[in-house]
Amino acid sequence: MRLSPDNWKLAILVGLVVSVLAAIALPPHVSFWIVGAMAALVAAAFVVNAYRRKYYGGLLVAPAIAVLFVMNIFPLLWSLGLSFFAYQSNQQSIRFIGLANYTKVLTNDIMAPANWGALVNTAMFVVLTVTAQMIVGFLLAMLFAKQFPLRKYLLILVLTPMMLSVVASGVFFSYYYDPTFGILSYVINAITGGQFILMDSKAGAVTGIVFADAWMWSPFVMLLVLAGLVSVPKYLYEAAAIDRVSKWRQFWTITFPYIRGLMMLALLFRTIEAFKLADLVILLTKGGNDTMTISYHLIRIANEQNKTSEGAAISYLMLFMVIVLTNLYLYIANRRSQGD
Amino acid sequence: MAGSKAPALRLSGISKSYGKVRALDNLSFDVPEGRFFVLFGPSAVGKTTTLRTIAGLVATDAGRLEINGQDVTTSPIAGRGVSMVFQSFALYPHLTVYENFAYPLKEEGVAREEIDTRVKETAAMLKLSHRLERKPNTLSGGEQQRVALGRSLIRRPKILLLDEPLTNLDAKLRHDMRAELKRLHRQFGMTIVYATPDELEALSMGEEIAVMRDGAVVQRGTPDELYEKPADTYVAGKIGSPHMNIVKATLAADLSSLDTPLGKLLSGRKIHSGNAGEATLVGIRPSDLRPAAAGEAAVPSRVHLIEPLGDVTVVSVEAGGETLRMVLPEQSASGLKPGDTVPITIDLDKIHIFRAASGQVMT
Repeated sequence: MRLSPDNWKLAILVGLVVSVLAAIALPPHVSFWIVGAMAALVAAAFVVNAYRRKYYGGLLVAPAIAVLFVMNIFPLLWSLGLSFFAYQSNQQSIRFIGLANYTKVLTNDIMAPANWGALVNTAMFVVLTVTAQMIVGFLLAMLFAKQFPLRKYLLILVLTPMMLSVVASGVFFSYYYDPTFGILSYVINAITGGQFILMDSKAGAVTGIVFADAWMWSPFVMLLVLAGLVSVPKYLYEAAAIDRVSKWRQFWTITFPYIRGLMMLALLFRTIEAFKLADLVILLTKGGNDTMTISYHLIRIANEQNKTSEGAAISYLMLFMVIVLTNLYLYIANRRSQGD
Repeated sequence: MAGSKAPALRLSGISKSYGKVRALDNLSFDVPEGRFFVLFGPSAVGKTTTLRTIAGLVATDAGRLEINGQDVTTSPIAGRGVSMVFQSFALYPHLTVYENFAYPLKEEGVAREEIDTRVKETAAMLKLSHRLERKPNTLSGGEQQRVALGRSLIRRPKILLLDEPLTNLDAKLRHDMRAELKRLHRQFGMTIVYATPDELEALSMGEEIAVMRDGAVVQRGTPDELYEKPADTYVAGKIGSPHMNIVKATLAADLSSLDTPLGKLLSGRKIHSGNAGEATLVGIRPSDLRPAAAGEAAVPSRVHLIEPLGDVTVVSVEAGGETLRMVLPEQSASGLKPGDTVPITIDLDKIHIFRAASGQVMT
C-alpha cells in the first residue's frame, strides 16, 4: 500500500505510531522534533488530499483555522484543564485536585475583602465606562450622520483614539493627569491657586480611568451606530415630515429601529471588554486608591505570584460571569423585539 | 382674483437648481380645486422636484407658491395640508399596516377611538382589512401601494401629490390601480397632482395634463386638446401611440401646400405665420393614414412591418424614403403582408405643421 494522496488516514496512523514510539524510546530533545515532523507529515497529507479533491474552500480557510486553534482554542482548553490541577509555572510538580481551585477561589480568594472589592470595582467600571461610551458614541454618531464642513477630516480625527495602542493612550493620559507637569493639574492649579492631584482620591482615579477608557472606545460605539444611521432611507424622514410627525417621534419610530441591533452589539462588545479592564488601571494607578479590578487581580495571581492553575480557575469564573451577563442582555433584547 | 375663487394650487415662476443642474426653470401653472391634474414628461424633467416643492420638501430658489390663495413658498411642511405618495411608497418598515395608517393621525392628537374608526374605514375602502397586523415588507407590491395611498388619504388632505405611484407595479395591477385612483378622486373630490412618465396613465386619468420639458410646462390642456392640437413636435411625439409620423417638408409659395418626400400635400388651409420656402415638419397621426380607395389621390408605399395588436394593427410602410406607421382596424389590415405595395392616402385636414427650426406649431 503506497502513500497515495488519499491515504490521510494512513498518514495519521503512521504519525501516531511513530510519535508514540519516539516518545517512549528516544530522549525528549530528539522525540520532540520527530513528533513535530509527524505533525507536519499529517498536515501535508491533508493538504495534498484536499487539493486533489479540489476542496479549495477548505484549503483557503485552513491556515486561519490552524492559527485560531493554536492561539485560541488550544490555550483555552489547556487552561481549562490546568484549572483542575495544582500547578505553578515556577515549579515542576503537578497534581490533580479536582474542583479544589474553584472552591479556594470562591471561598478564600474572591470572598476576601480586597478581592471582593476588586469585583465590585470591575462592576462599577463596567457600568461607568460602558454608559459613558454608549452616550458619547451615540451623540457622536448623530453628529457625524449630518453633513457639515470638514466632516471627513473630523471623523478621522475622532476615530484615531481607537487605533492607538492602549499603552500609548495610557501613557498619554498618565502625563495628562500628572500632578507636577500634567496639563490638567497645571490648569486647575493656575485657576484655584491650590494643589490639584486627580489620582489622589478614589473618585478622581476612577474618573480618570473612565475618561481615558471612554476616550478610547466611544469612537467604536460611534462607528457601529453611524453604520445604522446611514442605512435609514431618507424618504422615510420625508414621508414623516409630510405626515407632520415630530422629530422626537421620528427618532423613536424610524431611526431607532434601524440602530437598535447595532447598539446592542456595541453594548455587548463594550461590556465584555470592560469586564477585562486592566491595562488602563495598570498604566494609570497600578491598582492604587482602591481601583483594583478583577482582571488586574488575575494578572497578579497568575503572572506575578505564579499561581497558574488558580489563575485559570479565576479566568473561567470570569468567563462564566460574562456569558451569563451577555445572555441576559440578549434575552432582554429578544423579549423586547418580540413584544413590539 | 376678480371675484373668482383662488385656485387650489398656483406656482408662479418657480426655479430650482441643484448645483449646475437646473431642475425647475421658471415653472408656472395653477390647478383648480378638485382637479385631477397630471404632470407628464419623461424622467428628469422636474416632475418629482415640482411635487417636492409643493409638499415643502424642497426650498425654491425663486418664485412663489400659493395654496388656496395663500403664499406658502416658505411655510413649513406641516401647515400646507398637502399629502404625498412616494414612488418608493416610503412605508415605515417597523410599523404594522395599522400603525402606518394611524401614524399621521396620532401626531395630530386625534382620539384613539376616532383613529381606530378611520383606520378601519380606510382599510376597508382599500381592501386591506385582513392585512392590518402585517408589516409592510410582508405585503405584495400592490398592497404596499394601497397602504401608501391609505396613509395619505386618512388625513383627508386638500391636496394629494402622487409621484409615479404605479411605476413599481406590474401591468395588470397598474390597470386596476388607475381605476381605483379615479374612483377615490370622485369619492373624495380632493385636488390631485399626479406625476407620471407613462402616456397611458396621463391620458386615461388626467382631467388636465401639463406636459413638462426641462423644468417648465410646455403645454397644458385636456387629453383631447393635447392630442388634437399639440403645441410643438415634443408634445406631438409624447402624446398618442404609436407616435406621430414626422416628415420633413417645405412650405410652398401659396403658404398652403407642402413639398414633401411623399409628394405635394395640400393642407387645405393657409399658414399665415409661414414664409414661402420655409423648412417645416409635417406631423401625421398613424390613425390619419389608410390604404387608398380606388380613384383617390394616393402615395405609393411598400409594407415592411406588420404588428397586430388585437383589434387594431400597426402597419409600417415606406413611402418616398420615409417610414410611416399607420393604425388600421384589424380586418382592413388582414390582407397585407410585408413586401406588398399599397397606395396610401392621408387625411389632409388633420395634418399638423411645425416650424422645422423651433418645432413650434404653425397656424
